[in-house]
Amino acid sequence: MDLSVIFDAGVVGLRMIMPLYALVIVYQCYAAMRRRRRPEKPLVSLYNQKSGGMIPVVFWENSIGRSKSSDIVIDDPTVSRNHCVLLRRSAGWFISDVGSLAGTFVNGVRIQGRAQVLIDDIIRVGDTEYQLKRGDDFNSPLRSSRFFSKVSDKPAIQAWKLMLMVTLFHLFMAVEAMFWNDGTNVYSPLVLFFALAVVEWGFFSVSYFALRRVNFELEALGLFLTGIGVMLLVRQVERSAYVQLIAAGIGIVLYCLIIKFIEDPDRVQKLRMPLMIVSVVLLSSSIVLGRVTNGAANWVYIGSISFQPSELVKTIFIFVGASALDKLQTKRNLIEFIIYSVVCVGLLALMSDFGTALIFFVTFLLVAFMRSGDIKTILLPVGAVAGAFVLLRFVAERINFIGDRFNYVLNRFKAYRHVWDYANEAGGYQQVRVLTYVASGGLFGVGIGNGYFKQYFASESDLVFGLMAEEMGVIVAIVVALAVAMLMIYARAIATRSRSTFYSITSCCAAGLLVVQLSLNIFGATDILPLTGVTFPFVSCGGSSVISCWGLLAFIKAADERTYSIKR
Amino acid sequence: MKRTLRRSTLILIFTIAFIIGIGFFTVELVFDAKDWVDQPYNAHISGSGGLEQAGKIFDRNGNVLAQTVDGERVYNDDIEVREALLHTVGDNSLNISTAVQSKYRSLLTGYSLVWGLNMPQSMRTSHDITLTVDSNACKAAFEIMQSYGKRGACVVYNYKTGEVLCSVSTYGYDPQDPPEINEDNESEYEGVYLDNVISSSYTPGSIFKIVTAAAAIENIPDIFERTWYCEGSEDIGGEPVNCVDDEAHGEINFEEAMEHSCNIVFAKLAVELGSEKMNAMAEKMGINMTFDFDDVSTAKGHYDTSKATENELAWSGAGQYNDKVNPMQMAIICGAIANGGQGVTPTYIKSGSGDILKEIGLKGSGTSALLDQKTASVLDEKVMPEYEFGGLTVHAKTGTAEVGEEKLPNGWFVGYSIDDDCPLAFACVIEDSGFGNQYARPVVEAAMSAAADSIRGKLF
Repeated sequence: MDLSVIFDAGVVGLRMIMPLYALVIVYQCYAAMRRRRRPEKPLVSLYNQKSGGMIPVVFWENSIGRSKSSDIVIDDPTVSRNHCVLLRRSAGWFISDVGSLAGTFVNGVRIQGRAQVLIDDIIRVGDTEYQLKRGDDFNSPLRSSRFFSKVSDKPAIQAWKLMLMVTLFHLFMAVEAMFWNDGTNVYSPLVLFFALAVVEWGFFSVSYFALRRVNFELEALGLFLTGIGVMLLVRQVERSAYVQLIAAGIGIVLYCLIIKFIEDPDRVQKLRMPLMIVSVVLLSSSIVLGRVTNGAANWVYIGSISFQPSELVKTIFIFVGASALDKLQTKRNLIEFIIYSVVCVGLLALMSDFGTALIFFVTFLLVAFMRSGDIKTILLPVGAVAGAFVLLRFVAERINFIGDRFNYVLNRFKAYRHVWDYANEAGGYQQVRVLTYVASGGLFGVGIGNGYFKQYFASESDLVFGLMAEEMGVIVAIVVALAVAMLMIYARAIATRSRSTFYSITSCCAAGLLVVQLSLNIFGATDILPLTGVTFPFVSCGGSSVISCWGLLAFIKAADERTYSIKR
Repeated sequence: MKRTLRRSTLILIFTIAFIIGIGFFTVELVFDAKDWVDQPYNAHISGSGGLEQAGKIFDRNGNVLAQTVDGERVYNDDIEVREALLHTVGDNSLNISTAVQSKYRSLLTGYSLVWGLNMPQSMRTSHDITLTVDSNACKAAFEIMQSYGKRGACVVYNYKTGEVLCSVSTYGYDPQDPPEINEDNESEYEGVYLDNVISSSYTPGSIFKIVTAAAAIENIPDIFERTWYCEGSEDIGGEPVNCVDDEAHGEINFEEAMEHSCNIVFAKLAVELGSEKMNAMAEKMGINMTFDFDDVSTAKGHYDTSKATENELAWSGAGQYNDKVNPMQMAIICGAIANGGQGVTPTYIKSGSGDILKEIGLKGSGTSALLDQKTASVLDEKVMPEYEFGGLTVHAKTGTAEVGEEKLPNGWFVGYSIDDDCPLAFACVIEDSGFGNQYARPVVEAAMSAAADSIRGKLF
């Protein structure tokens, strides 16, 4: 047999391993998330002395009331629909009245605000009395969420092994990039890889040794995705690769800070106001200092550093929207949130960046829905403001203020589902090239640095799905996408197991937002949805974007009760 | 917490929607990827790039039209054959998008869904394609067209099987040595990447009288009993309609009007039939539609008199006004007249190695009803003027279409042979030339004779 055939077969064989390898990594990350859980059993239980019934208390925060959707339903006409909240904090168990008519009593004393309850204390809600008992006193089995049921007894993969797999994947990418090049800078991918490995293992060491955390799978997943984004840049704009890596480092620091910051779900309440002010200042700054880039004024330049404040503000937005269960339903909390939303949406409308506005609007909907379940009360005022701004902009357009920008958006919709008719004009140019190069790459890709799509504008950011699919194959691209999409499944699975609704709400919103961004990015680039110019979470080149992704990931990590409880 | 969980379920819908979306994309990828790949901007195959491993292309008699020798793409030895078939075979670039080497580039180079365009060279399998065209017929037509130095198109196809035997478009160039087109020589190569047979449409002039005649046969019962008096020029709708050079045809019946191509008679018929009936017939015969075959579509013709004045309607019946037709379209319509009203879909692909035909996804030759059978046979037997050449009996119509803009007329010749063993339909147009009889007809005679020889087994 010809020698070249053997060589080619070897290259092909290696390339075929990569998708499989990516799949294994993503699988291992999620498998590890499922394992090492506390068994599903009640934390405490409520003993009804009159009837002799025992109610298991399974969540950290439990709403008590007559309403069918309460966590603990009391069928007693003297009990309000939302009566009180029984919650667990590090100092013990508390009960908090949420504006009931008949009041909540602990050992016969009517409580104001939050009051501690001890084991064997008597709680009176309306005409019903319960005694707080230990969880062990309840001994019927409980149903577990599907994500956590049927988990095999096999121990989770050890964190360092998982990290090794991730690092090895990035090394393969570096080797590929060394293999295909024009002869210059042969070793630069290797240098970049070492820098990446330092960030990855540095983060791991801090988490493992300094923070003494056992679990690292969510971080490993984030690093896996971030590293792919960084390595993809090495043969395109090498300088961007390092900028991206530095941004990832900042993102990781932010990640750790956020987790530390929100450790106490009651303390976050005090941070709401300052954060609201910070975010409004950030958004305003981008209007005042912002420079118009591609028709959108959402970049702020300070010296040679540029960033998009809106990327960071969406993290704060989710933070501000969420609250602990007993605070969530208070009027003040809601009104604050509405006013804040109105201001943010108003500022955003001035910015006129379609992709950002869309993402922000989705974030807003997610938060509004997650916190109240009733979007109407929040949507109405915000909708009115948005409408007013649209009208205002219409007038502005008349005086030829933002006309060009508007056309830019319209072009994208005109070509939607007809991109081949606009293959060489605005509207379809980018999408058809994505499709062509995705198809040219086949299932296994042409190799890092060996593709041609990298020459196109935005191929590393808005159209990165095309770049990834051409160079690494469509299977890897889809696996990477699914790795992000699965975050929502995880966030939902831990929703009732997190230490406060604050965490459940923030993690679901963060995961939901990542999935929406992912969908808009991939489907926009492939003409399944109109192209909107949204980044691929973690992978797209863009410092602000990667930082905010790590910020969002922190919310998901914080929602996992193991983050704060299990230490090595 | 339960409420939060319930609400989070709704957000989970985003993930489910995403997975559905990815599924949808995968389906699109599986079915359309081969079309996505064949794009002129695709750097994986553009330039001489992808052709290093491409298979051979043959004409119907097994003559090699293009092949790769030692990594170089080599075209037919005869420069006239190369130029004549430029628009059918294509060149190394992807500029002529309707050519076989462009539209099936990825297949020729061994594209597959699994490997994309990335199969290692040593492991690729390339495909050969045999075309239906006859290189002699193409060369014969090309020689005459080239001598005019004008742009034009000539197509001959078998109206029973759909096989295209001759397809030539000028201007062209030698694919073995493609010109560098820059600002200086732009005019010389204007429209050179367009296959005029497929992608251009022209003012038809008198050949459009076939459509007017069909409408008259269907709507005017006593059409064959009527006579007109032609003085060479007559006011219709307040402005004149005249015959070529104001030639007066005198007293004339329907058949004679067709034979002498009397504009006045057909102008009057168009006015009598009215805009609605004329448009209905044009629509039915496919003037306003594209014909799809071999992954390409013909240019659309054009007939629309909804905004025309009476005089304009009159002229539209003689193929002027804003009428437009495409050569391939006219060949299909002529074939339909000979074929009992059924227009057979043309094809350039005869066979291919491996399962290339399946991969191309050709649907085989379909037919579309363009005329009622009765109308077709009346047109054929009574109306279409008869010619004899190349051992064939041919029913055909000439046309000389005024285009204004200080250009000479488009010379047209369209029709078909009625010989059972040689069922060939044709259309030929020479731009900026003159009488169809003088310019287009010799091209057709040469092409038809060679095509007939090829079918009848008489090789040169």
